[in-house]
Amino acid sequence: MDKATVELLACRAGLEKALAEFPEDVAAAAEQAGRSVTRLKAPTDPRAEPWPPMRAGAGL
Amino acid sequence: MTAVEAARAIAARELSPVELMTALLERIGRLDPKLNVFIRLDRDAARDAAKAAEAEIVGGRVRGPLHGVPVGIKDIIDVAGLPTTCHSKILADNIAVADAVCVSRLRGAGAIVLGKLSTHEFAIGGPSFDLPWPPARNPWNPDHHPGGSSSGSGAGVAAGLFPMALGSDTGGSVRNPASACGIVGLKPTYGLVSRRGVFPLSFTLDHVGPLTRTVADNALMLDVIAGYDPLDPGSAAAPAGHYASGLERGVRGLRIGFIRHFHETDTPADPEVGAALEHVAGTLHRLGAEIRNVRVPSLEEFAAVNRVILQSEAWTIHGPWLRERPGDYGQLARRRLMAGAFVGAGDYVQASRRRLQMIEAVEDALRDVDVLLCASAMDPPCRIDKADEIARTYPRQARTPFNVTGHPALAMMAGISTGGLPLSVQFVGRCFAEATLFRVAREWERAAGTGEKHPPVM
Repeated sequence: MDKATVELLACRAGLEKALAEFPEDVAAAAEQAGRSVTRLKAPTDPRAEPWPPMRAGAGL
Repeated sequence: MTAVEAARAIAARELSPVELMTALLERIGRLDPKLNVFIRLDRDAARDAAKAAEAEIVGGRVRGPLHGVPVGIKDIIDVAGLPTTCHSKILADNIAVADAVCVSRLRGAGAIVLGKLSTHEFAIGGPSFDLPWPPARNPWNPDHHPGGSSSGSGAGVAAGLFPMALGSDTGGSVRNPASACGIVGLKPTYGLVSRRGVFPLSFTLDHVGPLTRTVADNALMLDVIAGYDPLDPGSAAAPAGHYASGLERGVRGLRIGFIRHFHETDTPADPEVGAALEHVAGTLHRLGAEIRNVRVPSLEEFAAVNRVILQSEAWTIHGPWLRERPGDYGQLARRRLMAGAFVGAGDYVQASRRRLQMIEAVEDALRDVDVLLCASAMDPPCRIDKADEIARTYPRQARTPFNVTGHPALAMMAGISTGGLPLSVQFVGRCFAEATLFRVAREWERAAGTGEKHPPVM
């Protein structure tokens, strides 16, 4: 993720203060997230459902 | 003295809860300045509770199986009237108004709360030196880390400051300190122990679990804290386990699946760890278990799913503070918790979809075997002051898969390294089959004498 994109996403998330005070930490956080997402292997089956499943009425 | 031994001696009036408490407080006073286990030691209340327990027992009123036995509580878990700081400046003044359900259950069984224990900040990151309290240290060698995030829980149990402690586990935080400190740590099945009153890190990955010196203590503690809680949305209406009753049945006839690829190819382990794991498998085989090779998805895949879900869910909790008070976090937690700002909604859903497939993969593996055996930590615990080495070794572990899938997983000592630090093994069971897990762990403990191995400096 390039610097401009990191700054854009950080501002969109409301992290202006962190960006001003801890720019290296914001960059490190973006790098961590990028690494995790890149390594994620999404299911190829379009019918694959997420966990936890919807349970209508549970806990209501 | 173990929790089971203490409870038995107290019930038989061979040991006074006041004598036990006095001895432990003296030990804490001597050792805690070197280990930083406590954030808040509730000395007076613990003494008063010990006196009350003694009076009750003398009067013939027995509260439960832990009457008079002291317990330490990780400082993300509420204890009424005490601070829940999460080891962070953010919550330095936060006083809990009620006990968490797990604490309430322990008190109901007669346990005495000693105080609140060190953790990694908000149960994430690693040992940090930029927080209001210093990080806990490893009693096997205080120059080394004790694992985390339930670091005070692990270090305190291993050092004999208390016989049992509560921890939480979102990516391995009960099993990491159990591994690093050479004790027994259980992440129960997701939903078996209520999380109400525990500060959340990641709603669908968070578990509460016991840390103890022995398998029998762990089973006893789980007997007390497990149970359905209608006010915890993740709580499961599972039958009570009677976990302490079948411990001595041995492993003859059990089928154990050895996940070798975790430590051989996914994340190649320190040779001493690999040798210790083979020794555990060989010992259980000689004792009558059948050992089979088993494959599940790779550690890298499990870790990616765990991180995307953890980062996303934790961001929803910490976003408001990170926007307003980023400087009140330590650097490690700040970096880890802000990551969620850069994960998309689609990434979270993809991780959740992959998660269900991973649950099915582990369920498949457990159809043909009773228990899985695999690595916990890939290395002995490194020095606490080497940030680079901690950053390198902390992710080298095989614990996160079972936060992703929710299966019960227990970590314990597998041996001692040539450097004098604990090596570890992990056993994983079918959902709600903690009793079988304890049975295997107890057989290994009995054969190897791990329950008798204590830190030499203590």
